Amino acid sequence: MESEKKCQEELTALKKEYEDFVYIVSHDIKTPMRAIVNIATWIEDDLGPNVDQDILDNFSLLKNRVGRLENMMNALLELSHANRTKMELFEVSIPKLVNDCIAMLSDKTNIEFHTSYNLIDEKCITLGKKLEKVIYSLLDNAVRFHDKEKKNVSIEIVENETDYEIVIGDDGPGIPEEVKDKIFSVFYTVNSKDVVDSTGAGLTICEKIIKMVGGTIEYTPGLNGGSVFKFNWPKAITINN
Amino acid sequence: MIQKLVNILLVEDDEVDVMNVKRAFSKNNIKNDLFVAGNGVEALDMLRNSIVPLPRIIILDINMPKMNGIEFLKELREDESLKNISVFVMTTSNEDSDKINAYNLNVAGYILKPLSFEKFISSVATLKDFWSLCEM
Repeated sequence: MESEKKCQEELTALKKEYEDFVYIVSHDIKTPMRAIVNIATWIEDDLGPNVDQDILDNFSLLKNRVGRLENMMNALLELSHANRTKMELFEVSIPKLVNDCIAMLSDKTNIEFHTSYNLIDEKCITLGKKLEKVIYSLLDNAVRFHDKEKKNVSIEIVENETDYEIVIGDDGPGIPEEVKDKIFSVFYTVNSKDVVDSTGAGLTICEKIIKMVGGTIEYTPGLNGGSVFKFNWPKAITINN
Repeated sequence: MIQKLVNILLVEDDEVDVMNVKRAFSKNNIKNDLFVAGNGVEALDMLRNSIVPLPRIIILDINMPKMNGIEFLKELREDESLKNISVFVMTTSNEDSDKINAYNLNVAGYILKPLSFEKFISSVATLKDFWSLCEM
């Protein structure tokens, strides 16, 4: 029993060390990274107007890739901090939280949102910012990776005795069977990052948050193609940090 | 009446970032004198010894060796002769604690350094408009 406790303590310490490491590294790498972009811009600028298109194309590739690197660094920062920042418990209205998430989506053209709630009480006290992050990320994915002109996205929330069951589905391309086990890995994207610009960290962050509150998330293919993400969010949340 | 140009003290340890500010100044046709300190200790020294003449404002980085931005701000605000200087934080730190500490120490603004130089130029232009409007 004693050794088990010791192991647990060591594990907690290691986890913290790992997260600190990720945080410091991703933060300190930002300065030289910005320097690369800046110096490239200066060189481009100093070359003047008569420059081969080839060179200009390569400059823009260089800057695009550093931009991607920055997004990855920011995602790592967010991932390492997912269980430390914005950890306030406060009262939220669940339908309002969903509407806020929809409102935050940048592109809502040709999307129909279908919401359905089966709630005993619309309000609950929870980690509001975390729940918002998860719902927003799943909605954002549903829209961002959608491949059709007209898009349907559904959000279904059912309140059970101990948790909320939240199901977010779409009629987009779905996720190929052979890669569905990899989608929660950090930086994994189904398509090349040249096709849809994305860091591939969204689902990893969602999963980390959901595990932290004691829930689970799973992917299932939609009945008519598309993706369905289902997770449960406990009503009583204890923060043990 | 000809308005006296404010002198700008840039407290920044990264050479490329200093060059960046200089370039952004020249792109925006900013003619104010620019003084550079590599950390908080050096900056306090330059202010106390009037190396940076009045009127003056400060552009401050947070992560620096020796004395970081927040420590520098604390000392600045405790110094009777320096406590009223306008300070603009310009940093990569997106930490909530840095933002809260900086605003508690009465900074005029907290700006995240953008990745692209074009965006940086426009941030500096906005800053210039702002400090030109401010009475010192």
